[in-house]
Amino acid sequence: MTARWRVAAIVGGAAVLAAGCGSTPARTPTQTAAPAAAMVSLSLSTSAAAADGTWAAIPMGGTGPNLFWQLLRLPAAGGRWSLRTPPDIATNGALILAPQDGTGRDARTLITGIRPSLYLSYSPVTTTADGGTAWSTLPPDPSLADVPDSLAAAPDGHLIALGPGPRAAQRISVLRPGGSGWTTLAGPPPGSRACDPTALTAVAYDQDGTPLLGGNCAQPGVAGIFAYAAGTWQLAGPAWPASYGRQRIQVLRLTRTGATDTALVEAGTGHAASLVAAWTGDNGQHWTLSPALRLAGARPVSASVGDGGTIAVTLSGDRGETLDRSGTSWQPLPALPDGRAVTLAPLAAGTTDALVADGSTLTVWRHAAGSAGWARAQAIQVPIQYGSSS
Amino acid sequence: MPGMNSGLSANDPTVVAAFRAALLHQGLIALLIFAVLSIAWVAVRGRSAGIARPASGYAEPAGRQVLRIGFGLLWLLDGLLQAQPDMAVGLPSQVIEPTAASSPPWVQHLVNWAGTTWSYHPIQAGAATVWIQAGIGIWLLAAPRGTLSRLGGLASVGWGLVVWVFGESFGGIFAPGLTWLMGAPGAAAVYCVAGALLALPERYWRTPRLGRVLLAGYGLFLAGMAVLQAWPGRGFWQGRPGTLTGMIAAMSQTSQPRFIASLVSGFESVASHAGFAVNLVAVIMLAATGLAFLSGRHAIVRPALIAFIALCLADWVLIEDFGFFGGLGTDPNSMIPMALLAWSGYLALTPVPAGAGAPEPSAAQPSAQGATEEPAVAGARPEAGWRGRLGPSALRRSLSAASFGSMVALGSIGVIVLGAAPMATAQATPDASTILADAINGPAVPLDIPAPAFTLTSQHGRPVSLASLRGKVILLTFLDPVCVTDCPLIAQELRQAGQLLGADARRVELVAIDVNPLYYETAYTQAFDRQEGLADVPDWLYLTSSPARLRQLYKAYGVPAETLPAGAMLGHSDIAFVVDKSGQIRETLDMDPGPGTPATQSSFATELAQAATQYLSAS
Repeated sequence: MTARWRVAAIVGGAAVLAAGCGSTPARTPTQTAAPAAAMVSLSLSTSAAAADGTWAAIPMGGTGPNLFWQLLRLPAAGGRWSLRTPPDIATNGALILAPQDGTGRDARTLITGIRPSLYLSYSPVTTTADGGTAWSTLPPDPSLADVPDSLAAAPDGHLIALGPGPRAAQRISVLRPGGSGWTTLAGPPPGSRACDPTALTAVAYDQDGTPLLGGNCAQPGVAGIFAYAAGTWQLAGPAWPASYGRQRIQVLRLTRTGATDTALVEAGTGHAASLVAAWTGDNGQHWTLSPALRLAGARPVSASVGDGGTIAVTLSGDRGETLDRSGTSWQPLPALPDGRAVTLAPLAAGTTDALVADGSTLTVWRHAAGSAGWARAQAIQVPIQYGSSS
Repeated sequence: MPGMNSGLSANDPTVVAAFRAALLHQGLIALLIFAVLSIAWVAVRGRSAGIARPASGYAEPAGRQVLRIGFGLLWLLDGLLQAQPDMAVGLPSQVIEPTAASSPPWVQHLVNWAGTTWSYHPIQAGAATVWIQAGIGIWLLAAPRGTLSRLGGLASVGWGLVVWVFGESFGGIFAPGLTWLMGAPGAAAVYCVAGALLALPERYWRTPRLGRVLLAGYGLFLAGMAVLQAWPGRGFWQGRPGTLTGMIAAMSQTSQPRFIASLVSGFESVASHAGFAVNLVAVIMLAATGLAFLSGRHAIVRPALIAFIALCLADWVLIEDFGFFGGLGTDPNSMIPMALLAWSGYLALTPVPAGAGAPEPSAAQPSAQGATEEPAVAGARPEAGWRGRLGPSALRRSLSAASFGSMVALGSIGVIVLGAAPMATAQATPDASTILADAINGPAVPLDIPAPAFTLTSQHGRPVSLASLRGKVILLTFLDPVCVTDCPLIAQELRQAGQLLGADARRVELVAIDVNPLYYETAYTQAFDRQEGLADVPDWLYLTSSPARLRQLYKAYGVPAETLPAGAMLGHSDIAFVVDKSGQIRETLDMDPGPGTPATQSSFATELAQAATQYLSAS
């Protein structure tokens, strides 16, 4: 090899080495900026009280296309839970419950929205007036948001729906009784000095049929609860004590049972976060705030609102808490039974049912007020059609 | 990666049978090509007995010969490996896609394009690779010198690049974990280098300079690989769960003879317990070989070459696991090509003795033998201009003067064209082969019965009867508007079929009947149309009616709708009817979309469009 070649070889070698070093895998960038406070996202697994009984939506089966949401009903007169899942539609995407909870015949009506899943990108809506024996359909919604209160029914039969997406794109639409299609009610509330909404999380009606909207405000110490009046959204939530003035408040649930509108919010973030409930029986004129439930690092998993605004919450770590509207204090439940999905259903007289799904088996555990543990009340074998959505 | 995976099993019997049939068919044509050329050659030589033949005694430079024969055999073996039954479906999904998975997105995007192309035409693509690779192999083996031989080298470079980029994702050089031990920078890259060397004019092979340059480049490469192997933090210095042991463990999972698997597993055990030592040996061997090659001195290169070949063989057996087992092995991996290249470089260090072989024709003294460019032949008269060179007499002279090897090489070019032409033709159409649809559901069932009459309501609220569609071919199916799986796919297949029909689409009606008697309102058929982008398709009808009338129609067409419990969607069969212009059902197609990949959707669309076209042309 000549000297010229040796020089070329050395230069070339250096280039190869540099290229080789450059091709080693890059390290994952370390996160230097503090993450933004994560938005709390409750499971859609919940129960809802209606005049003729209690309904529960529970994920069962496997995962992905083998996860099928089931609808169960416990009659108001008591008795046993029974499977009432709407037929002829795949429920892989979850069921959103909206009891009409009005008066007279409509009090018996439950409307369910089916969230999109797999290739289905819109939300069919179905309704029953006989406790889930017979079902008929309502016009489909373009797409229901992934929150438990994305669909609500007014006593007069109007429906309101919340669409998914970032706040600016979230659609709020309504379906009038007998209507042939959903129409947009209004855009999201505009930002203001009082509340600049960062996300919309719930829709509801008050007992007069006024649309309500729940969301999160950028400003601390403000709950994003709005009422639709005179063609605009106006802040209608409770005034929060000064002690919450520096805390970020997220509306987790906003729903109506009978004459009571109930809101459940998370105040603060991280280890200092707490849950607070708020009730109004006069269309937001006056709100009652509950004591705070310190989460101490626990995470709210699902929340159900029972008759009269009783709240039952499952928390991470197999914890459960209930709170009735008297609002004196949160009552811890015994450690929740084991299972893949646990949904609480607050019932009358301080009784709470825990519906525990494990594959195709649903076990109902009952906790009577004052008792020390859960009693196995019922087991239901659900004939899940594994593979039918694959 | 979207598109690349047809979703079918690699050993799908329908595709395997079609692949075998295509190979057999094309194999017979290949034999015919060789037979015709041989007969022509013998005939012309017999009639041209007076023309002098090329002088024998030509000695190809040893280094070149090693490359040519070695890589000729490798290409031939690769072609045979491509003929394995699982290749047609399995190559994109089980070889190309996993190889690209760890590469950057732009590499995946590029590779996905090729993989998608393959998955749309698995038979043509699979057969093309067989014949192209076998053809290049035969070409290199049969043409020892001259322009034809050099062109063979260029063909090797061209196809090698295709394989390197699309089949090997650039040999994984942009993916993490690059290591010579596992084949970096890709076997096909070595094929390309060898092809480029074979494409050089022979005068470059007659002096030691080429050998020195080749070995110097090789030495640099190996030294670089040694540094990469030794670089801290890349996981090669540790045993289990190190990078090397992970790679060996993955290779040992390949389906292969038990004794080989146990050999590889045994070495994995050694590497996991003594990972540092194994890597140290590899680093030292690579660095030492690199430096020895860089020296360019015979006395140093020779022992280094022997050690390097031993290292290559050990790596081939113990780490690369031969590379061609499991039914989807495409080549014997990189170590044999690496060893051949080094051996060739070593042989090229020795100057070719004067008088060994005839000199290559120079530009100043053009050869008169046309494309085959055999050594100078006494008595041959050059023709003036290209007309003269391509004239019958010139061609006859060229043929009579050509060696048997040149004829075989010419035949091999025919074999390459034989494989490439159907693939190129298939690529000219955007639709997938119907073999995928046939593999999923079998072929269409011919019928000739009247279609049950109906009067239903369109998605626009207008009444539509079967009689009102008389004069059009109807592609009729039953779809559930709230279906989460099959129906949206079938709707897309129908939409694509309409697009494939082009101008004929206005003479074809794409019709779906709502098969869900609970979700029967037009609000749902309209919502489905919006979801599937069908709202603006002019010849699309989604028909519905009352539940009672719909049920009657399900019965008439033999499409049961069954309510399933517990949140399952409605059960119904996926079927399409091809109704001719007179209202007769002429075919039923099972429309179960199977995996629902872009390739299978396109395949079903092609099948539907072909069926419609067939009955459009019928009276």
